[in-house]
Amino acid sequence: MIRDPGDIELNKLVLMIPHARRMGFRFLEKTGDSLVIEMPYNPELEVLPRSGLMANGAITTLLDTALGAAVYDQFDAYRRIVTLDLRVDFFEKPRPFSSVTVKTRCLKVTEQIVYVQGDAFCSDDSSAIAHGVAVFSYADMEEG
Amino acid sequence: MFDFLDKLKTTPEFDQALDISPYARMMGFRLRRKDGALTTVMKYHGDLIGSPFPPSLHGGTVASLLEMTALMQLIWDTKIRHIPRTIDITIDYLRRGMPEDSFARAHVFRQGRRFATLHAEAWQSNPEKPVATAMVHFQLVD
Repeated sequence: MIRDPGDIELNKLVLMIPHARRMGFRFLEKTGDSLVIEMPYNPELEVLPRSGLMANGAITTLLDTALGAAVYDQFDAYRRIVTLDLRVDFFEKPRPFSSVTVKTRCLKVTEQIVYVQGDAFCSDDSSAIAHGVAVFSYADMEEG
Repeated sequence: MFDFLDKLKTTPEFDQALDISPYARMMGFRLRRKDGALTTVMKYHGDLIGSPFPPSLHGGTVASLLEMTALMQLIWDTKIRHIPRTIDITIDYLRRGMPEDSFARAHVFRQGRRFATLHAEAWQSNPEKPVATAMVHFQLVD
């Protein structure tokens, strides 16, 4: 559900990332500063053929993308964003043949660092299958 | 998958695409063995890019390479006959991933009856300059 120009920008941002496009990631919505980004089920992302289970690596990549987008969304001007670290907890296997969505939360923005976290869910389930927490640094485009 | 690895274990040197997994195939993961060491390779292709200007690998692809490497090393080193469950992974990003092939190795820090802790390191053209490292915990029994 794209409601305002900022949301259109976020959708474009996701589509501008070649790997995110290849994985089929889609920006779904923004509430406050929380973003929701979806990875539709895709047999190419299965860990083993016909298992219906998307690989952990795909979930990690979805989290990294969503958390990066959440950091990007904190600023009005374009910033160069660098992941310092990322931690992913895998709570349970994804539901077979289900899409996975990540909902982000920005924890803290300092002069140089943004702390963010996100939960990954299968379709409409209420309990998370994975959780990610990341630290990003940011700089103006001119800075090194 | 275990038949696939059993066959490789009897081969002193190989360079094998991890085609048994659709995701690994999409990512371009390969498993190599040379001088007794096991290396996982992520062959560069344009779909791995996360930031077009300047072109850099998506952080998720490097994380994924590190997890796959830890998993392969754990299965290689043990007699496990099922895929262990990943409990968590912590990735430290050290350098920008260049648009080129990436390599990773892992070693088992500790293996108990129920859990294993592995450390993995990824590099590109210069093995002395790691791109990222990761700690991974696996659960060995359900």
